[in-house]
Amino acid sequence: MAFLLRRLGWMAFTLWVVFTISFFLMRALPGGPFSSERKLPEAIERNIREHYKLDDPLVVQYLRQLGYALQFDFGYSYKLADFRVGEIIMQGLPISCTIGILALAVALGLGLATGIFAAVRRGTFLDYVFRAIATLGIAVPNFVIAGLSIILAVFVVRIFPAGGWGSLSQAMLPALCLGLPYAAYIARLTRSGMLDVLGQDYIRTAKAKGLTPAQIIFKHAIWGALLPVVTFLGPATAGILTGSIVLETIFAIPGIGMHLINAVTQRDYTLAMGLIMVDTAILCGLNLLIDLSYVWLDPRVKVAE
Amino acid sequence: MDQTWRKMFPYLALAVCGGAVAWALTFSTLAPADFTFCNGTEIETIDPARVTGQPEGRIISAVFDCLYRTDPETGEPMPGICTTMDVSKDFKHFVFPLRKDVRWTDDTPLTAKDFVWSFRRFLHPETASKYAYLMYYVVGARNYNAMRLKLGDAVEVELADRKVPEWQFPAGTIVRGTLKKLEGGKPGEPETDKDGFLVTGKETVYVVEDAQGKQHRFFRPTTGVSTPADITPCLHVLPDFEKTVGIHAPDDFTLDIKLNNSTPFFQKLMAFYPLSPVQQACIERHGYPLWTKAENIVSSGPFTLEFRRIRDRIRLKRSPTYWDAKNTRLETVDALAVQADATMLNLYLDGRADWITTVPAAVIPQLKERDDYLRRAILTTYFYRINVTQPPLNDKRVRQALNMAIDKQEIVEFVTKGGQVPARSLVPPGLVGYENPPQCGKYDPAAARKLLAEAGYPGGKGFPVIDILFNTAEGHKLIAEKVQDQWKKNLGIDTRPANQEWGVFLASTHSMHYQIARAAWGADYPDPNTFLDMWVKDGENNETGWHSEEYDQLIKAAEEETDAKKRMEIFQKAEAILMDELPIIPFYFYVKSDMVRTYVKGFYPNVLDIHPLEALSIDLEEKAKVLSER
Repeated sequence: MAFLLRRLGWMAFTLWVVFTISFFLMRALPGGPFSSERKLPEAIERNIREHYKLDDPLVVQYLRQLGYALQFDFGYSYKLADFRVGEIIMQGLPISCTIGILALAVALGLGLATGIFAAVRRGTFLDYVFRAIATLGIAVPNFVIAGLSIILAVFVVRIFPAGGWGSLSQAMLPALCLGLPYAAYIARLTRSGMLDVLGQDYIRTAKAKGLTPAQIIFKHAIWGALLPVVTFLGPATAGILTGSIVLETIFAIPGIGMHLINAVTQRDYTLAMGLIMVDTAILCGLNLLIDLSYVWLDPRVKVAE
Repeated sequence: MDQTWRKMFPYLALAVCGGAVAWALTFSTLAPADFTFCNGTEIETIDPARVTGQPEGRIISAVFDCLYRTDPETGEPMPGICTTMDVSKDFKHFVFPLRKDVRWTDDTPLTAKDFVWSFRRFLHPETASKYAYLMYYVVGARNYNAMRLKLGDAVEVELADRKVPEWQFPAGTIVRGTLKKLEGGKPGEPETDKDGFLVTGKETVYVVEDAQGKQHRFFRPTTGVSTPADITPCLHVLPDFEKTVGIHAPDDFTLDIKLNNSTPFFQKLMAFYPLSPVQQACIERHGYPLWTKAENIVSSGPFTLEFRRIRDRIRLKRSPTYWDAKNTRLETVDALAVQADATMLNLYLDGRADWITTVPAAVIPQLKERDDYLRRAILTTYFYRINVTQPPLNDKRVRQALNMAIDKQEIVEFVTKGGQVPARSLVPPGLVGYENPPQCGKYDPAAARKLLAEAGYPGGKGFPVIDILFNTAEGHKLIAEKVQDQWKKNLGIDTRPANQEWGVFLASTHSMHYQIARAAWGADYPDPNTFLDMWVKDGENNETGWHSEEYDQLIKAAEEETDAKKRMEIFQKAEAILMDELPIIPFYFYVKSDMVRTYVKGFYPNVLDIHPLEALSIDLEEKAKVLSER
């Protein structure tokens, strides 16, 4: 319990630091949300600055934003002026989560299956094939995979639509492209984890006791092998959150990755802040959950009190 | 207890994962729209008064209505809410008669009073409308929008008693009177700016005498400055709209507008989407931006807003209350917010979009021959700005030499490759009455070298290295590198292409921290004035430091000239000066590429690039045939 409280405290501190750094960094960049190629008459520009209180001292603006942020109110987007930041996040987050969950499912499912298979059939031809594919999957950037898969799966063989959002078939290709690199990593991690575990004494005991190979793998070996995979889930989620920025742009998916890249390039201060906070919170929260799950995965791990 | 949890954990984890995947796999299907197009970006807002972009324009023109509509074939204005084009003898005083059968989507009638209120809101400084300068031709409009006052003016003061403080409308109590004097500044005569208008500050107290002779003292509170005692806080002190601005509604179906000078193209402005009427009752009930939500919005155009999915699509539905509803054939329209042009092309080729507004330049050569590929010149020019305040660029001969050393034909043929037209003037050719703009020097490396030698840099010796600034984009980089190459070859000078991110680039050009910078300008309305009036001294879009007394006088004379032919001649003279002095070097006139499926009828390429959605229809038989063949 004390562990949990300490971690939550660190999470709050991290969020505050990220907020402050992002706030001042964004405003240090030249240009603002209202720069445009046509300069506005001075009177109109003055009105805009008054309306958005952009002429107040920076520290005053910072404290005001912080106050609102603590109430989870990030105000209205500058560039999507008809919407509150909260509305945009509420529309975009489920979409990104859907792709993220499906991508993780692909990564875990494909990765675990091939990893276990490769470990059990170590040294065979198929083992080498899977390891080679895994290396390719790790090395090739996800937008290259996306481009290739669009050509193959959209135009050569018409299975999937080219992009957009709204139906299951539109979610499959992006989820696949997002998840494949992580499937590759997980496959390799599972394989080496399994090989590690399979060499242990207690596995020999189980074999001696007469358990079938299936029982050995799925009742005993897999849990030890899972630990490195679970550890990897933290950075994998981070990667999926950031990798989705590129893929959402390629596939025209209105998730928070797409919103974030637009907010930053358009200097949409409020939306960018809201999204950065959400991303940070998700990362910290997931890492906390993963740390907690160690306790139950491995009896040897004890929480430091 | 601990052991049970540990045993349960894997199954719990599996259940959670399974649940998450099941949730992720549920989708509700959306019925496809009759017509889908890629709008190029998510729109900034659907409020007509606040926008300046073409993507916003497409949506707003569909949902709202204007005095005039746009003819889909020619791009010229044609009767809309106003019944006739014949509304003025001198183009200075306009009397627009309105249709009597125009209704809002809540089935209430739209009258001339709605126009007056909408224009007032459009010009109100708090709306911060970026296109407000388009209405500056109207008497008193500029003073109202820029809050310019003189002593003795009729003023309206809005008190700080709004029903909802964050909402601009309904406005607080308005007190009308005459501005008697200002207090709180330096003692003595009040300070005035170069045009004779009062200079006000955060501590200014406005003394206003009302119709009964009673004097009020008003103050505008700002952050950090408290209201002095015995003074009434107020939000705005503006010229009195009713008395000083030339927009009136003598009756429900007549709109009377008076301009400062004869402005022949004013009717073209009245077809422009920022000047659409909006409903006062709706805005006052919901405030901005809630009034723009699909469940609240009240509009008067051919389509209504069905829903918006942010950065995904905007769905429009045919409006049954539109006065010309029987001629609107599309039932539902989807505007996709896709930005990447490769993705747009993928969607188009996949049959999921019927019209895309951009085509990736790299594939144009392969798509050129298709009959669904449309290309035409539009009223936009690509040019380089030159900062004339720094030597050697302050010498006219140097600028002329630089211009004559650029082979623009080579650039459009081998660099941009989109069929653009090389430019030797700023104003694109083809404007009615201005078909032959004056031309700058043609490509002549020998003459260029001679001029450069005359200016003191024979063979380019002693010429400093100059930066060519552009915003980060592959196209601009290739052009800059080509120009660098041509200048080196033809003049022997060294230049350095440099790119900056868009926001940084704008900051640099606005503050004139550049030597040569890439630029482009598109017409707001089809008239040479939109290209030429920005080069006056201290024009906010000038940004070159160049000015010419003669040029400024010509532009002012054109503003006041009533004879259309003489006016064009004045512009010819002005542009001739511009093309001689060359604070800018024109490169080419833009060409717009669209891909539109052949089964979309009513789509015409026009020079303004306006394609009203209400004129479109789909030939379903042809659509089935085309899509099965792809």
